[in-house]
Amino acid sequence: MNIQSKVENRGIVRGGETLKEHRDRLMEATKRTRHYAGLQQTELRDSDPIKYNKLFSRLRAGVVDARETAKKIAASPIVEQEGELCFTLYNAAGDSILTSTGIIIHVGTMGAAIKYMIENGWEDNPGIRDKDIFCNNDSLIGNVHPCDIHTIVPIFHEGELIGWVGGVTHVIDTGSVGPGSMSTGQVQRFGDGYSITCRKIGENDTLFRDWLHESQRMVRTTRYWMLDERTRVAGCHMIRDLVQEVIADEGIESYWKFAYEAVEHGRVGLQARIKAMTIPGKYRQVGFVDVPYAHEDVRVPSDFAKVDTIMHTPSEITIRGDGTWRLDFEGSSRWGWHTYNAHQVSFTSGIWVMMTQSLIPTEMINDGAAYGTEFRLPKGTWMNPDDRRVAFSYSWHFLVSSWTALWRGLSRAYFGRGYLEEVNVGNANTSNWLQGGGFNQYDEIHAVNSFECAANGVGASAHMDGISHAAAVWNPEGDMGDMEIWELAEPLVYLGRQIKASSGGAGKYRGGCGFESLRMVWNAKDWTMFFMGNGHISSDWGLMGGYPAASGYRFEAHDTRLKEIIAEGGAIPHGGDTDPENPTWEAMLPDARIKRDKQAITTEAMFKDYDLYLNYMRGGPGFGDPLDREPQKVADDVNGGYLLPRFAESVYGVILAQAGDGMQGVDQAATEAKRKAIRKARLEESVPTRQWMESEREKILAKDAGTHVQQMFAASFKLGPRFEQQFRSFWNLPADWKLMEADLPIPSYGREYSMDISELPDVKTVQFVEE
Amino acid sequence: MPLDKESHRKVQVLGIDAGGTMTDTFFVDSDGDFVVGKAQSTPQNEALGLIASSKEGLEHWGLTLDEALSEIQTGVYSGTAMLNRVVQRKGLRCGLIVNAGMEDFHRMGRAIQAYLGFAYEDRIHLNTHYYDEPLVPRHLTRGVMERVDMSGTVVIPLREETARQAARELIAQDVEGIVISLLHSYRNPAHERRVRDIVLEEVEKSGKAIPVFASTDYYPVRKETHRTNTTILEAYAAEPSRQTLNKISSAFKENGSKFDFRVMATHGGTISWKAKELARTIVSGPIGGVIGAKYLGEVLGYSNIACSDIGGTSFDVALITQNELTIRNDPDMARLVLSLPLVAMDSVGAGAGSFIRLDPYTKAIKLGPDSAGYRVGVCWAESGIETVTISDCHVILGYLNPDNFLGGQVKLDRERAWNAMKEQIADPLGLSVEDAAAGVIELLDSDLRDYLRSMISGKGSTPGNFVCFSYGGAGPVHTYGYTEGLGFEDVIVPAWAAGFSAFGCAAADFEYRYDKSLDINIAPDAPDALKTTQAETLQAAWEELKERVLEEFEINGYSPDKVQLQPGFRMQYRGQLNDLEIESPIMEARSAEDWDRLVEAFNDTYGRVYAASARSPELGYSVTGAIMRGTVPIPKPRIPKEELQGEAPPEESKLGTRKFYRHKKWVNAQLYQMEKLRPGNRITGPAIIESDATTFVVPGGFETWLDGHRLFHLKEI
Repeated sequence: MNIQSKVENRGIVRGGETLKEHRDRLMEATKRTRHYAGLQQTELRDSDPIKYNKLFSRLRAGVVDARETAKKIAASPIVEQEGELCFTLYNAAGDSILTSTGIIIHVGTMGAAIKYMIENGWEDNPGIRDKDIFCNNDSLIGNVHPCDIHTIVPIFHEGELIGWVGGVTHVIDTGSVGPGSMSTGQVQRFGDGYSITCRKIGENDTLFRDWLHESQRMVRTTRYWMLDERTRVAGCHMIRDLVQEVIADEGIESYWKFAYEAVEHGRVGLQARIKAMTIPGKYRQVGFVDVPYAHEDVRVPSDFAKVDTIMHTPSEITIRGDGTWRLDFEGSSRWGWHTYNAHQVSFTSGIWVMMTQSLIPTEMINDGAAYGTEFRLPKGTWMNPDDRRVAFSYSWHFLVSSWTALWRGLSRAYFGRGYLEEVNVGNANTSNWLQGGGFNQYDEIHAVNSFECAANGVGASAHMDGISHAAAVWNPEGDMGDMEIWELAEPLVYLGRQIKASSGGAGKYRGGCGFESLRMVWNAKDWTMFFMGNGHISSDWGLMGGYPAASGYRFEAHDTRLKEIIAEGGAIPHGGDTDPENPTWEAMLPDARIKRDKQAITTEAMFKDYDLYLNYMRGGPGFGDPLDREPQKVADDVNGGYLLPRFAESVYGVILAQAGDGMQGVDQAATEAKRKAIRKARLEESVPTRQWMESEREKILAKDAGTHVQQMFAASFKLGPRFEQQFRSFWNLPADWKLMEADLPIPSYGREYSMDISELPDVKTVQFVEE
Repeated sequence: MPLDKESHRKVQVLGIDAGGTMTDTFFVDSDGDFVVGKAQSTPQNEALGLIASSKEGLEHWGLTLDEALSEIQTGVYSGTAMLNRVVQRKGLRCGLIVNAGMEDFHRMGRAIQAYLGFAYEDRIHLNTHYYDEPLVPRHLTRGVMERVDMSGTVVIPLREETARQAARELIAQDVEGIVISLLHSYRNPAHERRVRDIVLEEVEKSGKAIPVFASTDYYPVRKETHRTNTTILEAYAAEPSRQTLNKISSAFKENGSKFDFRVMATHGGTISWKAKELARTIVSGPIGGVIGAKYLGEVLGYSNIACSDIGGTSFDVALITQNELTIRNDPDMARLVLSLPLVAMDSVGAGAGSFIRLDPYTKAIKLGPDSAGYRVGVCWAESGIETVTISDCHVILGYLNPDNFLGGQVKLDRERAWNAMKEQIADPLGLSVEDAAAGVIELLDSDLRDYLRSMISGKGSTPGNFVCFSYGGAGPVHTYGYTEGLGFEDVIVPAWAAGFSAFGCAAADFEYRYDKSLDINIAPDAPDALKTTQAETLQAAWEELKERVLEEFEINGYSPDKVQLQPGFRMQYRGQLNDLEIESPIMEARSAEDWDRLVEAFNDTYGRVYAASARSPELGYSVTGAIMRGTVPIPKPRIPKEELQGEAPPEESKLGTRKFYRHKKWVNAQLYQMEKLRPGNRITGPAIIESDATTFVVPGGFETWLDGHRLFHLKEI
């Protein structure tokens, strides 16, 4: 070891602190003053607002520009077409100053990796030096899922560390049990694929050869992996150069002040925005999603994982009069034997992704917002697991369904303040994920991971419909990409790309519709594919009478004889599966083996050329009573293929009439009568709340519910005693009424025994939330 | 521009820039002298404004329109009419034929089209995203059953009866054009061409005259949304423009002209209004300035030029490196992704009319993206504008003469601007009004400067290797600000800055450019025989494109021997999705050595544009496209060359002084009349050089020198 440095005891951070001393000081001051880093005054910003703004806009523009330039290096359509990458600039303590667009959830996750290095003595071993390169994708210290790979580069000025830059891309494969970045077969971390914990992978701006050799053989899609890494490294270096230029122009003192004041500025900005947009009070909501693992098409290695369960996230937002707020997730489900678990950082950081899309759409996106928010995630829940075996590869399965509830909650506040345009009823469940692998059309080992579901339907607002096939909650700049590009990346030809009728939730303003792509396997060898999405449960809800979006389903066809049918000139399935309840493709494929059901999660199934796969992207939820929708808009929806004709009457109470040219118009009189009749029928069916509650209570007392529902509540009660108390008092349940997982006829491994990553020797985890 | 009264001039070239509000004309005579005419645009019948503008310009030379037109050999048009037609969705009623099952893809667009052109805040603000109406509605879209895969192999043979049915239905709906775009038709055009022929047969049978546009005949390049949008533009917007240009051409012929109009095209050359691919003239005005700078550079020996143009609403930057324009192959325009070759030009939504606001929550200063446009700002009482703009800062700080805005046509009120600035910006930030206004200008300048810097570093270069040209109505007001400290080799403001785009149009080559997608893949260690085969494939594509280029020139009466050809190609590392356009170092590719030279040119460029560490030669190479450009020489404006005179500006050029605020103090700036300055004059700041159409600000610490070509050189002292 370097004795000299021990004697000097001088840290690498500008001014001589060690990283740990630096962060400890900032955190102590933050806690003491409730201002980030104790910055009760922001000296630079107050004395020279012009310079402060210049620094911000120059750095922000540079970071955005680096992302645009670097992404052209990538080969993966996920990065290049879908923009699944992001670059963020951090101060020395690992708190983000500003970020590019893209998958901005990683503003927090890369910061968590930097903080992990700080807290675990990386400064001494392996050492942090100018021109080092680090790599991380460890979900146990904050990453969303292993396929998001971070490249982290420290920034030095005159030999002292002044900050960090992080770059992340979503890679197409991480060498997990099954091909594709978000595979489903594994139930533990050890099947999740290559996992890298803040590893030093390069020095002097050069990647180590052992790293290159090891990493490139740990994944299926080596070429994508290499080019993604070059994309991240090039972007980080562009931003490091930018910071050095800015310092040369504006001076290190100004930059140094800026790097901390910007975070405090972000915190204050959030508070001001909450004050302006919302109403103080408590907002409660809930999210659910299905984990249907008992089905034969879900092949997992462990019997104890072979169960149907429901994931559950009640949430409570408390907004105070001063614009501070608290988000509490008491009552959430335990982590599980599947790949839908999340780390506290990805859960909280991801909330910023959605808040920036509605509450704080500003260029001032940084860790200030995180410091401005109190989170409570009970330890042991699926979003704050207490076991180091958990798998994360598709944490988004429930992240998207839990968060949609938060938009719904905040939308009530926006509505109350009259910001009708800002209301967003909720995000779509961003699926289906078409994934699989084998040998592709180039005769190479390959994995596919279509990102068409970056363009789902959007939830309605309180003054207009949500837009269709347009967005995903994890990346506000959604896109479905060109079919010709997907066909380069996947051995699957398109037989259809069509707007999915009735996929958006009905309402006075309906949710945006998703779309569907019909793919035929073509030029693939030893090929597999699987489905990933919600099926039995609508994972979003409507608001104020609006309907949720349609849930998912799967359609796959094998042994289709399409080769012969094409040659014979027979009818070929194409376009969309327009009305799944009245399917037309089956009749065209009389001898085929077809799977059409609500089993929207499967594991690798074998496919061969001429087999079919339907990739259905979900819609968004609706706002307001459908009976209040302007009747002509309902006719327009039918004409435009956004609504199946039979729902015009049954859901909207609109009687259509021929309007010539094959178009539908509205029979006004019949519509008025129909709507009146529906309203009357509603009244007739209704019962007083007390009466309804009484009958529900009887069911609860009798435990008259599916095993999955009972398991869900039992697990929530165990981890969330306050939730249990509220449930008990709301339903007025007797003290001897108990619901225990142990009493249910399904296994519940993990119920009593767990062991956290923090229990490993020499590991200091960083806690970001109240537990 | 000497105002000559004698009328024995022979006018040779006419350049036109028909903008939304003003129509500029630019005449060049056989000695290369030039004159600018201005008139209000007449969108209903563009010819009227053009004739008026021409008359106004020619008056300066004492010429009548007839006299001038009979001599003119070449006329170049650029304008915004086609773009407006697209933006306002006022094009023709078109039908679209695509693959059966994919009838929705055009209206679905690409989701990126829902936020194209948005500022950062709106890009992430989901509730602001929206789709424009599709150019072709769904009910005028039909599918034909066929499929071709990515390598051109037929998956489903064309079922001709579906094509016939589609054609009949669209014809029955009285469409005014039919566009055909099938997946991967750029790779194997057989099905698409067959569908085209069937549609043509059906059109003929119907007795109607409906033009038919197959994407493979126009833009045979990958990415169906881009290709289809662009082909639709041909039918939807370019055909009406062709009629307009025909009208203009006729109007000029009635006034005695003998030339055929050419139009400025997105690839930076001019093409005939009869050209097949007219959609590529959709934006032409801003490109004119770039071409003008390129031409000036060629004549005066500047090979690397940063072109900067500030108007009321935006700041446009383009780079010329080694006398070459950068071409973008799948640009977006009017919120549509396209597959046109477009001179790469980046715009920031910040111009002289940009609004200035404070974010109510964070108090951050926001410039634009919206703007007061022609309504200037609060300083113009009649404008109705209540939010302060950049122009208000100019008036407050003494940059602009409130009594001589647009030659005195608009009177500006400094006090109004001052009061608004105080209330909206200065007080909330705790600054004096002057410091707030100066701060905003500094912020804008800094944004523009960063933008220029990042564009140049994106090219792997530094400003020291570039000469910066500054033009446009508001350009010279900010030139000092956005170039300060960047270390440009030189900073040049042409005395005719306001008419520079029209000048550029007049200077543009007569050039056709055609592109074709290719899929040549080769491993890094490929044997020579394979390299030779691949070189030959590229050569065959060049031959095919050459034929098309020569054909277009034939239509305009130029024989092949008059045409100068330049091949190019697009290359990437195998497996990547983004290629780079490379001008071929060789005229023909036939051998393995030829192939290696192409690869070498690519590797050099790649390392420059991204980073040397991003090079990936171990992956091998793909050639994704062939390019052929052909030009014929045309008469161009001569750059003026006048004798240098003394350094001291003549007394008659001096217009007194005005108070001018910068760096926290008021100083007296000397005012000059731009037209009265003589070549060789040297002016040290603080000074303001005014003309009717532009104001050139030379603050303290800067000096400018007018050379014999009537170019001002600005430098820091």
